[in-house]
Amino acid sequence: MSRKAEEQYLKWQEETTKKLERFPERKPKFTTSSDIEVDRLYIPDELDDEYVEKQGFPGQYPYTRGVQPTMYRGRLWTMRQYAGFGSAEETNRRFRYLLEQGQTGLSVAFDLPTQIGYDSDDPMSVGEVGKVGVAIDSLEDMEVLLEGIPLDQVSTSMTINAPASVLLAMYIAVAEKQGVPSHKLAGTIQNDILKEYIARGTYIFPPKPSMRLITDIFAYCAENVPKWNTISISGYHMREAGSNAVQEVAFTLANGIAYVEAAINAGLDVDDFAPQLSFFFNGHNNFFEEIAKFRAARRIWARIMKERFKAKKPKSMQLRVHTQTGGSTLTAQQPDNNIVRVAIQALAAVLGGTQSLHTNSRDEALALPTEESARIALRTQQIIAHETGVADTVDPLAGSYYVEHLTDTVEEKVMGYLDKIEKMGGAVSAVEQGYMQREIHQQAYETQKAIESGEQIVVGMNQYRIEEEEQPELLRVDPALAEKQKQRLEQLRKKRDHAKVEQTLAQLKKAAGTDENLMPYILDCVRAYATVGEICNVLRDVFGEYQAV
Amino acid sequence: MEKEKIRVLIAKPGLDGHDRGALVIAQALRDEGMEVIYTGLRQTPAQIVSSAIQEDVDCIGLSSLSGAHNELFPEVIRLLKEQGADDILVVGGGVIPESDIPYLEEQGVAKIFTPGTSTKETADFIREQVKKKKLNRIEAPRQIDHIGIAVRSIEESLPLYRDVLGLKVQGYDTVPSEKVKVAFIEIGETRIELLEPTDPESAIARYIEKNGEGIHHIAFQVTDIEGHLDHVKQKQVRLIHEQPKPGAHDSLIAFLHPKSTGGVLMELCQPKTPEQNGGREHE
Repeated sequence: MSRKAEEQYLKWQEETTKKLERFPERKPKFTTSSDIEVDRLYIPDELDDEYVEKQGFPGQYPYTRGVQPTMYRGRLWTMRQYAGFGSAEETNRRFRYLLEQGQTGLSVAFDLPTQIGYDSDDPMSVGEVGKVGVAIDSLEDMEVLLEGIPLDQVSTSMTINAPASVLLAMYIAVAEKQGVPSHKLAGTIQNDILKEYIARGTYIFPPKPSMRLITDIFAYCAENVPKWNTISISGYHMREAGSNAVQEVAFTLANGIAYVEAAINAGLDVDDFAPQLSFFFNGHNNFFEEIAKFRAARRIWARIMKERFKAKKPKSMQLRVHTQTGGSTLTAQQPDNNIVRVAIQALAAVLGGTQSLHTNSRDEALALPTEESARIALRTQQIIAHETGVADTVDPLAGSYYVEHLTDTVEEKVMGYLDKIEKMGGAVSAVEQGYMQREIHQQAYETQKAIESGEQIVVGMNQYRIEEEEQPELLRVDPALAEKQKQRLEQLRKKRDHAKVEQTLAQLKKAAGTDENLMPYILDCVRAYATVGEICNVLRDVFGEYQAV
Repeated sequence: MEKEKIRVLIAKPGLDGHDRGALVIAQALRDEGMEVIYTGLRQTPAQIVSSAIQEDVDCIGLSSLSGAHNELFPEVIRLLKEQGADDILVVGGGVIPESDIPYLEEQGVAKIFTPGTSTKETADFIREQVKKKKLNRIEAPRQIDHIGIAVRSIEESLPLYRDVLGLKVQGYDTVPSEKVKVAFIEIGETRIELLEPTDPESAIARYIEKNGEGIHHIAFQVTDIEGHLDHVKQKQVRLIHEQPKPGAHDSLIAFLHPKSTGGVLMELCQPKTPEQNGGREHE
């Protein structure tokens, strides 16, 4: 054993012991079915410098083997199913149901008008209110959404980007009313605008003011909401839009670099905000490549943060990741087959060391999931967690010749892309030139051609087809919900304190023209029951709107 | 004549940002030889209809994955109708439950392509439907090409037109298939055609025998005689000639059956080329 390796090994043991004192593992002893004892960690017989540099120990730089010293032996990943549709009441019921079923974190899906900063009664919102998520117009809706859910005890992920500040402010304001101080709040906002321009499409403002809103959140939360993940830098949607695994990691990390730079340029210290950065990846089909992808991404990010941005805190260097299984891999044909796809993808994410996981429902190529489908999806995770034993030792595939080769190769190819994007002037500039968009589209088109030619087999779709039975029962969003939501908004506009609304909006507008942090102003607007649309319109006036390239 | 490219507008109505499918289908249709315009995200139905009309497209492909299709697709169709552009084919795709498809088709969406449809299948469908649609919006006849008058003898009838009325004779021809000699007399943008039988068994000879001399038929000038024949046939009009046949001056002609046209004998007439049309004087 080299000296360096020995030092690291001892450090890991020490940290593990410390951690175990506070958080014991799930079981006193882990064994296989044949009573073979399962160790916490398996390492090569001969530990050398190369191993330490490339793999290290779990919870140690460069985090290839995971961000925690005991990984899932200590605590399983967070099972976090994305949910939300229709009205706040209905979503609140679904949340409570999922918590009763053993889900451990909430994940809020907002409808498209909310995500793009339009109120439910805006002409642009026709047909979209409450469709892909819950409609939130004002603090009043957020109060209903979170009713009876103790905000100091759950962690909540909100898929919100362009108006992330507004929704986070509403969450903080609801917590205030529950008597929960903001420093106790845990959760995540997606807040990743760059991938919206690239792949997801719910942008509002141009890149520059959007980046400013994001760094305002970083600064505000570092001080006031320290347990909150202020961004979830997302490869998921780029993968869904058609990218491959390497592009997913490369473009995500390129965007991550852009956010870190923006925050540093805004005067923040890297170790003040970087511990609150989180990531979001896709769990796709190619099993071993997916596992390698997570391992490579952790290693690259750790190096970037340490070497390029001179981060000192370990938490600043750790790539903590939420994973969702790949929606675009699901087929509308023979939908029950999707349960199997999801299980395999979820297993890859777990073997890759994800911190939280959403498993898709079998019917998502057809509509939003029914309660039954959502339950099967959650059960899939629970089966992996409790029945397979894969969570009983840390990073079980390390040392596989194949997985390590893939990890190294993914890293090498990602670095190639990062260099290229750097030469283009960074991610913001590459996005503005449409570079990532083109790369992804090209890849998507090639995939489509491979499927149509039969070169790539999709079971049940281009091979092994059957005469389809009737489609299963699907979730329907009651069209009356949109009407009800509009009525509620109309009543709110009548009963709230108009002077207060006008005043807070005017102050926000004034501040938007300066470089003051906008979070406190947005909080004031939200507390006065100004709507998402009103707040975003004030910012549209000052910032303008993004026009796609 | 070179075949015109089919023009397609791929549009994303509503706020949905998932454009992988829209972009892939746009490129696939381009590869299939169509001209494709992509609207980009967040288009209102009104914007889509206005782009479609401005770009003079044959087909609109609507894509939505957000569940707003039941509201937005029919609105596009309604606006197309309102603006008299409902000859544009509308197809759709995205995350659309099977049970919504009958409603959308009833509203006028020609077809919904659900996930897993090959791009080839989509392209073939559009091609076939656009071809059908084109027949239905055949260009109306441009003008009266000529009025045919049956005469026993051109030589005897001509002086009235030429010397008394002062019209100009444009030319003479014989049409062996019809067993007639013809003289064209120019009048404004149209002509009078005097028809003299060359054989007692010809149609004109029999006509004169039955009705005496007089107005025989009206000929409408068209640019696509085959298309017109298909079109009137579809509209249940009986034909004398199922296929166009050669007429005077290398034109193509076909007669509709007077039983279907209120007793007026109508001819469709497609001049050989526009150049010859204009150069008739010199023949």
